[in-house]
Amino acid sequence: MTSTSQAFLFDGKAIPFDSNETIAMALDRAGIRTLGAGQGNSTGRYFCGIGTCQACTVSVDGTRMEACLTPARIGLQVERIASVSL
Amino acid sequence: MSAAHFLSRAGWRVTVYDSGVVASGATGSADGAVSVASKKPGPLMTLAVAAVRFYEHLAETGVLVDEFISRSTFMIASQSDELDVLESQSAQLEAAGVPVRLLKGQSLAETVGAAAPSALAAVEVQGEGHAVGYRVVERLRRLGGFTIRRHCRIVGLRQSGGSVSGVVTEQGVEPADAVLLAAGLGSMDFLAGSGLIRPRKGQLIVTDRAGRDTPRFPGPLMSCRYLVSKGSHPAGKLPESRSLGLVVDPLRTGQFLIGGSREDRDDKDTADADTVASLLRDAVALSPSLARLRVIRVFAGVRAATRDGMPIVGRVGGADNVWVATGFEGDGICLGPLMGHLCQQMICGRPADQDISALGADRFGLKLADAA
Amino acid sequence: MSDREVLVIGGGPAGVAAALEMARGGLKVTLCEQGPRLGGAIHRQPDDPSRRVRVPKAQRQRWQALAEALAASPVTVLCRHMFAGVEGSGAVLLEDRASGRIVTRHPAALVLALGGVERATPVPGWQLPGVVTAGGLQMMMKSTGRAPDGDVLLAGSGPLLVAVAAQLTALGKAPVAVLERSTSAVSLRALAGLIRAPAYLWEAAGYLLPLTKAGIRLQRGASVRSIVPAGDRLSVTIVDTIGLEQRLVVDRVALHDGLLPNGNGTTPAPNGPFTVLAGDCREVLGGVAAIADGRLAGLAVLARLGQAAPDLAGAAATLRRERRTQSALNTLFDYSGSDAAHLPDDTVICRCEGRTLGQLRGMLAAGDRVSAREIKLNGRFGMGACQGRFCAEWVAAFVASQRDGQPPQVAEIVGSRWPVKPVPVSAFVDLPPSSPSE
Repeated sequence: MTSTSQAFLFDGKAIPFDSNETIAMALDRAGIRTLGAGQGNSTGRYFCGIGTCQACTVSVDGTRMEACLTPARIGLQVERIASVSL
Repeated sequence: MSAAHFLSRAGWRVTVYDSGVVASGATGSADGAVSVASKKPGPLMTLAVAAVRFYEHLAETGVLVDEFISRSTFMIASQSDELDVLESQSAQLEAAGVPVRLLKGQSLAETVGAAAPSALAAVEVQGEGHAVGYRVVERLRRLGGFTIRRHCRIVGLRQSGGSVSGVVTEQGVEPADAVLLAAGLGSMDFLAGSGLIRPRKGQLIVTDRAGRDTPRFPGPLMSCRYLVSKGSHPAGKLPESRSLGLVVDPLRTGQFLIGGSREDRDDKDTADADTVASLLRDAVALSPSLARLRVIRVFAGVRAATRDGMPIVGRVGGADNVWVATGFEGDGICLGPLMGHLCQQMICGRPADQDISALGADRFGLKLADAA
Repeated sequence: MSDREVLVIGGGPAGVAAALEMARGGLKVTLCEQGPRLGGAIHRQPDDPSRRVRVPKAQRQRWQALAEALAASPVTVLCRHMFAGVEGSGAVLLEDRASGRIVTRHPAALVLALGGVERATPVPGWQLPGVVTAGGLQMMMKSTGRAPDGDVLLAGSGPLLVAVAAQLTALGKAPVAVLERSTSAVSLRALAGLIRAPAYLWEAAGYLLPLTKAGIRLQRGASVRSIVPAGDRLSVTIVDTIGLEQRLVVDRVALHDGLLPNGNGTTPAPNGPFTVLAGDCREVLGGVAAIADGRLAGLAVLARLGQAAPDLAGAAATLRRERRTQSALNTLFDYSGSDAAHLPDDTVICRCEGRTLGQLRGMLAAGDRVSAREIKLNGRFGMGACQGRFCAEWVAAFVASQRDGQPPQVAEIVGSRWPVKPVPVSAFVDLPPSSPSE
């Protein structure tokens, strides 16, 4: 079931994942905890695990979605959503 | 709330009665455009110019500091048949003394090219602004000086000898020396005549915050179709029960406000997917990068629209101490503070800074209802 | 079979039970689940079937029975379909994550089985990466079948803390500590309630035994005062019953203060289909009750649509029993969170918008009684992407505490509009305009 050869890109870095694994789990195993800029002194991060808190939202091939609900796939371009200074 | 602010500064003891909570009507659901760009040429455009200047004045004097942001509005023509509307509105604005800049070719590409790559031409309307309706109300509330009675419905006006002597609430009669009806559609509950003001629903969309995946917007982008929708320009189209006009407004929070519709209906609690999808399709056609964002809220509000498209501001017949300020349709945020100030001047018996005779209640023969 | 479609939102036990009941009653049923697999939070299925965490046997069997019945049923299952709400004309909006599009449906009835959400009450630093909900930590274990790396501290109140501690321990990674805010000794009333529910006692015993064996301390009356970053780790200040402070440096903090019904999207929509709530989104009663409640929701739909419906007196009895158990259980815990008076002004309250307690206090400082709507619009509490799920209830309670009761309604802060959760703009762009007849 587990293959070490499959990976997606997170901010350009290859992140290996297991079959059926979500992006959030793969990132956590890769030691990545900060998933985006967030607001104020809140940053993007894994929190509720059920798609409710929206804190783990990342850009997946250009569309924003919850990392905890999104299965990883080979070649996905996942990016942190950076904030812009206003 | 503006009138309350200025009246209290003029020495009146003021009570604001709201059947719900403050800013719960169109104010709380408005786009916040303090803009002349889309106004109908004529007295309304002239007043809008004065209203923007008044916002600037309030920001400078501290009343609305940080709440009014000066900026330009960009009217965009992205289809060839919109070029005429663009040019004609631009000329009207220039005639009203509004600084405008036509953007084509290089200047167009540099200014709005990233945000709206398909634009054929644009007009930058300078000296405009943004103020969030509910935030303006909140600022005035915090400045205080008057009482707010939330969830306090006025069920009638106590009349005696050609004057109103008090307002009737569910708790009893409370004396008043002057009454200003500024209850939007609800103002008509106290006035004789029907069908004068009708509800015009508008639907708006708010996105999440832009990141680096979205280009910088120079200011709000207004599709020239908006002008057609608003009826500022005759476009030879049949009136519809729903028309859409597109404004993509970059908010201070980094979010975008996308609007809006004008619909002859009053169900302000519902937004429909059809309208929202149409607006978003148009928005993405104008600014493809918006497709990367998410819709986090959609909402609807109901504007009070008069028969002739002009607000009603002035004294009401049938009593010598009742004034009205309603029927602003989509222009309440822009005109509100100035109108509050002018109402204060009228109520104090002083000449108004601006000529608002064109807005008078007498043009419809508006009188206090007998049952009021 | 009736050709009218009924829609069930949520692929947990309540949703599956409702779908099965309605399919048995002859309705055409479509079951939508937001995640890639069915099971809900309680029966979250592992990514790799050979790697699963241990759960109580009864719990595993309950899901197995539902899953087998579902596989044998004609119910259509749509995974990765997010419920976006009921729009103004009454259509149900689903976001299909695979195609990236909005799908509209006009079901004859709608069953919402949206589950619960965890309550996590604010403490300074709860917004830091590495701080998760206990349920979020449990999801990680259930999905991957592995213990998360690093040292874990569990804190808050509720039986889930003990369950997660036991699962961590079983995976060879005992938590550094389990802090249970409640000081209440087990009351007689609570015990009497629990004795009537042997399943719970078995579950509790199953969780507690390995903990005791591993020497894990369950600190009653202790709670987290603040969390600050310490390099790549988290430095946690803990306070005990007598006010003594202690510092622990860990990698993860899992917070939990009980469960709340997931109410977003459950307000009846004008023009919407006949709608029934099922399971924890109606009332948080746990997994056993969710199945019974789902069946009852299915029954309500069958009755409404004029289909023959079985007698489900047993399900109603289950619901009553679980309600008694749950309320007995709740008396043992303290879900109120930190005393707000001790929270500093810079404590983040709204995690989405980064709004702080100081900003909320400022809004309430004036003598004028601002409304919930004003707190929302001007304070931006509940305006963020999670739509107030993690702050609205707390904000409402805080406002009430500052005003001698009279709490504002949580619904006034959350609102009832669609979309229930953020939906990509791109998903709408392909939505075909409705036909002119609509």
